[in-house]
Amino acid sequence: MAVLILVGFGLLVLLMAVYGYKISARTAEDYLLAGRGIGITVMFFFALFAISSVWTFYAYPSYLYRHGPGFVYFIWGCVAGFSSLYMFLGPRLWAVCKLNRFLSPVEALGERYQSPGLRLIVSLVLLASIVPYIADQSLGVGLGFKAIFGFPPVVGIIYTSLILMLIVLLGGMRMTAWVNVLLGLIYTAAFLGSLLWIIYKVFPGGITDAAQILKDREPDLLCIPGPKGMFSPVITSAIFIVGFLAFSWPHIVISTMTAQDKSLFKWLPGLALVVGGILFYTIPFVWGSLVAPAVSHMSLAKVPLLKDKEADYIIQLIVTRYLPSWFSVFVLMGVIAAGISTAAVQLMTSSIIVARDLIHGFFLPRGEDRILIRLTKASVVLMLVLSIGIACWYPVELPLYLVGIAIPGFAQWAPCLVAGILWKRATKAGAIAGTLSGSLYLISGFLYPPLLLGLHPAIPTLFLNIILMLAVSLLTPPPPDRTIRVFFDEVEDFLAKKG
Amino acid sequence: MREIMNHRPGKIFLLVLLLATLSLLATTPFLTIPVVLVGWITLPFAAGIAFILVWLMAYLIYFFRYWPFR
Repeated sequence: MAVLILVGFGLLVLLMAVYGYKISARTAEDYLLAGRGIGITVMFFFALFAISSVWTFYAYPSYLYRHGPGFVYFIWGCVAGFSSLYMFLGPRLWAVCKLNRFLSPVEALGERYQSPGLRLIVSLVLLASIVPYIADQSLGVGLGFKAIFGFPPVVGIIYTSLILMLIVLLGGMRMTAWVNVLLGLIYTAAFLGSLLWIIYKVFPGGITDAAQILKDREPDLLCIPGPKGMFSPVITSAIFIVGFLAFSWPHIVISTMTAQDKSLFKWLPGLALVVGGILFYTIPFVWGSLVAPAVSHMSLAKVPLLKDKEADYIIQLIVTRYLPSWFSVFVLMGVIAAGISTAAVQLMTSSIIVARDLIHGFFLPRGEDRILIRLTKASVVLMLVLSIGIACWYPVELPLYLVGIAIPGFAQWAPCLVAGILWKRATKAGAIAGTLSGSLYLISGFLYPPLLLGLHPAIPTLFLNIILMLAVSLLTPPPPDRTIRVFFDEVEDFLAKKG
Repeated sequence: MREIMNHRPGKIFLLVLLLATLSLLATTPFLTIPVVLVGWITLPFAAGIAFILVWLMAYLIYFFRYWPFR
């Protein structure tokens, strides 16, 4: 029965993708950027559920479960980072890309700095960082399959990858955004529903019972630095900064390019703060920092205390042991929805980078729309195969795919992105020096960790990147007048006009 | 961002966001006590909610009274 439900869910998503294929225009702009026509409602769901993923459902609560509430500072940083993207960078990036018909943010940076070399470096860094994050999504679903059915994770990985391929190949960015609305509703219902039901069933006095159990048995789980002393004040501040780098996640940055008009940038920061920061992200926090550890620490617990990778699917395990099996399958559907809603956007983004910035940018500069769309679709398959390989490999705990691998990589294009959009004096030499040095430092740090000085990989590499970006830019001649006109003067005129 | 820095309300807005962020980070050494507010709210969570509320207030005032784009 459970398998039939999951097959039915896959078919529903397939139908939506086919519908998206029928209604979409056959232009590259339509396929890659939804014709730059996403309105506020769809954009809100699109962005929120592109951000909220299997990582939010499984990995983030599992980290809180193991280390206490200090990791919530990562989320505070993310909320500030997303809001800042829509407040400060989004309007200008949207305007310059719309005015010049850029189809990728990397393409815009290549033009801003007049540098195909920088375009190549940024493309490779972003691809190397985003593919493990796509793998994180399908692996999360695989672990859900394991928790419920006992299947090896590869079953869930393949199931997720097939659905992803259908959505992205048939529907493009528009259907990816629309499917996110449906998936987001399923995700929220499963996530919030499971939390409320577990509290109702396990803690008769409500959530305060859970807090009391922890206070009596493991009080370190209620404060920083946590039971293992991981979140010292310095680490907690650093993790906030790492979270703030969310403004540079490429799949979120590209969403700003799909906006219908500039008024979206007036409303989205508020939605990010209220719905994201105050409402939605409270669900995984309560799940992971209070309910799950209290369940494991209570007398006669059906789910014992789990450690390391075992804790990656603690939420699913608690739901499976305490709630009816049909609801457990529904929660797994929520996890699948969470994974697909994020991975589809990531897959579109990475495929656009391969097709538009690497192949179209370097080998087929005069390729028609039809060829660009085909190249993007071929890239989708390539990216999926790579992500399946990384998901099956499963080298680190689920939370680290994002925090330890993807974010340090995304961080390396942040200085040249911010400076390119906001600082007239930023130069090609500065952007290349910063991005290349930061990226090489990061790779060296992954190969030989002592080079990172015991810090999170994003921190020292970003510091070097920013210093070189600033210093080399100031020491080299300013960008040509044409660049200033296109990326600043025309953008400012356009944004100042009544919309 | 460039537009926001070009007028006084924008500068005040950015200053409020910065001060709220620095305050959030400066309070981390005081969150080492296992205290819960209203039965379940831990101190790191409460600090973050206060931070978000300050950002929200600043955003509401600035974006709906002084937003530089028409």
